[in-house]
Amino acid sequence: MNTLIVEDEKELAQEIAEYLRKERFICDVVHTGMEASEMIAVNQYDFLLLDLGLPDYDGLDLVTEAQKEGSEAAIIIITARGAVEDKVKGLNLGADDYLSKPFALVELLSRMQAVARRKFKMETNTIVFGGFEMDVNARVVKFNEVVVDVTRKQFDLLQYLVMNRNRALSRIQLYEHIWGNILDDQYDSNFIDVHIKNLRKKLSEYGPVDWLETVRGVGYKATF
Amino acid sequence: MRLQHKLALANLLFKIVFMGLFLAVTPWLSERINLYQTDNDLIEKREEVIGLISDFGVAPFLVDETEDYFASYNILKEEFISLEQIDLDEYWNFIEVTQRRIDDEVIDYRVLNYSFLVDGETYLLEIGQSLSSIAVTERNIRRVTIAFLFLFLLVSVLFELAYTGALLKPLNRIVAKIRATTIPENYDLTPVVSSTQDFKMLDSTLSELMKKISAALQNEREITQNISHELLTPISLLRNKLENILMREQIDEELAIKVNESLATLHRLKTLVNSLLLIARIESNQYLRNDNVQIGDLINEVVEELHPMADDGGVVLIQDYTRELHLFQANRPLLFSLFFNVINNALKHTPRGGEIWIHGYRKKKRCVVEVLDSGEGIPADLLPDIFMRFKKRNGAEDDGSGIGLAIAKSVADFHQIRVEVSSEPGKGTRFVFSWEL
Repeated sequence: MNTLIVEDEKELAQEIAEYLRKERFICDVVHTGMEASEMIAVNQYDFLLLDLGLPDYDGLDLVTEAQKEGSEAAIIIITARGAVEDKVKGLNLGADDYLSKPFALVELLSRMQAVARRKFKMETNTIVFGGFEMDVNARVVKFNEVVVDVTRKQFDLLQYLVMNRNRALSRIQLYEHIWGNILDDQYDSNFIDVHIKNLRKKLSEYGPVDWLETVRGVGYKATF
Repeated sequence: MRLQHKLALANLLFKIVFMGLFLAVTPWLSERINLYQTDNDLIEKREEVIGLISDFGVAPFLVDETEDYFASYNILKEEFISLEQIDLDEYWNFIEVTQRRIDDEVIDYRVLNYSFLVDGETYLLEIGQSLSSIAVTERNIRRVTIAFLFLFLLVSVLFELAYTGALLKPLNRIVAKIRATTIPENYDLTPVVSSTQDFKMLDSTLSELMKKISAALQNEREITQNISHELLTPISLLRNKLENILMREQIDEELAIKVNESLATLHRLKTLVNSLLLIARIESNQYLRNDNVQIGDLINEVVEELHPMADDGGVVLIQDYTRELHLFQANRPLLFSLFFNVINNALKHTPRGGEIWIHGYRKKKRCVVEVLDSGEGIPADLLPDIFMRFKKRNGAEDDGSGIGLAIAKSVADFHQIRVEVSSEPGKGTRFVFSWEL
């Protein structure tokens, strides 16, 4: 997947690129609106990660520009200004998603995957783990063809853990993924523990859940 | 009460008092004036009669010499003149009120008594004027006066209402402009037309003020955006760097825990910055108020969100609404955060087996929502500080920065929701939210 990272904070751009390259994305990095404009005109990108706080450009203009160029890229707006209008404006202009700084890199990846599923109609294979089967598109978990009755939040948690398999996700990362948009300021580690506890209880009614591990000092991990 | 009506009322009262006073003194005053006039008339007539007597002597008047008496009345007995010879030890020259019986009728007269000497004989001249005729005139004058005064009163009140109404129109327009202003940016800056200097000045001063406030708010908006950017960018960089360190395959467990602890600290910093920015944004009116929120539905969502935590902590959440409670011109996400905050706060401070009771009702024209917990309560000396930033409730072991209730308060203020807290240590805490419908 070709990705253009437009971020004036050079170090930050490097960190994002480093992470995405590990996740097998091909990344170009630019630090100004002008450079971005040129890159968009010349190359075909699947993803545009657009920081709105550029020194020379209103990031929102780049959204319009990219669309004029006929770019098919999925656009994810990133901002640290935190103004609600930016989000609304960006999404209205045709951006696909919106992330507030500081964000978790896994969250960025998860959003990109979600946009890709939506926008590029990518066939996501059903994920199988410990006898359970998750259909991401249909949002269903099954065990031996029996549908497991999980709540919406439990499903989201499970999906996040499963899609980041073998990697410990911290309570903060999990919380932000589930509640970040509405209750960012209300972080409570207990929320995640309670939901994981309930999720384990629910899943264990159907099959073993030893693959859903607690990682000391960090959070949780799905290992399979 | 409107200014126009106050002015009219004050004028009316003043006129009524003045008229009352006037009507109270007129009988006395007109009597005095009439008596004075009558007395002058009587003296004038006396001069005329004396003139005649000095010209022609007494004889022509005293027809009947034997009686030495002359009296003349006009037909209606309004006045009389009499002349008679009399024995007096002194000269008389005075005016008095006496009763005279004439043809079986007793009439009050104002009588001038005047004695004089003619040829060694003393004569008494009496000139009388009936008082009843004076009284009638007086009564008539009073009636006309009263009628006139009432007419004057009516006309002047109507005139004043119309005049002050027209005069105060610009003021009313200014007041209407202020009423229609929910945020300073919305203030209608078109000048109010008026020939009255004071209103022009009031209007222009208000417009200037609103412009200044709007500019200050705009400035604050930019500042919050800049601060937001300046603070969150380095946090973002640190976070992603640490996350990339965790991604390394060969990282050992101890290091991973340390990095995660750093990330948790960073998260606290982020939450703090965001909370402060949130309050600043609320206070500088950066949130829209376009939602009509049914509070029961909203709290129901909050309760659903918190249900797993309540179940886990063995606390029962009870909701009870007697009426639908609406909040117009509201910001739904902010209100969600307000009630989430307060109910979550109650949850944290309520031990296993306790309950949280959310009760919504209408009291007169106000909507009220009470959140009552059976928790440990808050000591009285800490109650006033509960909404202060960074003040934590005693012994609170939460991850929060102690800013949650400060956010709740600023959201409440933003919506003109009144918040009252009362608490009994050991029994529980009650938050009461109320707003005018």
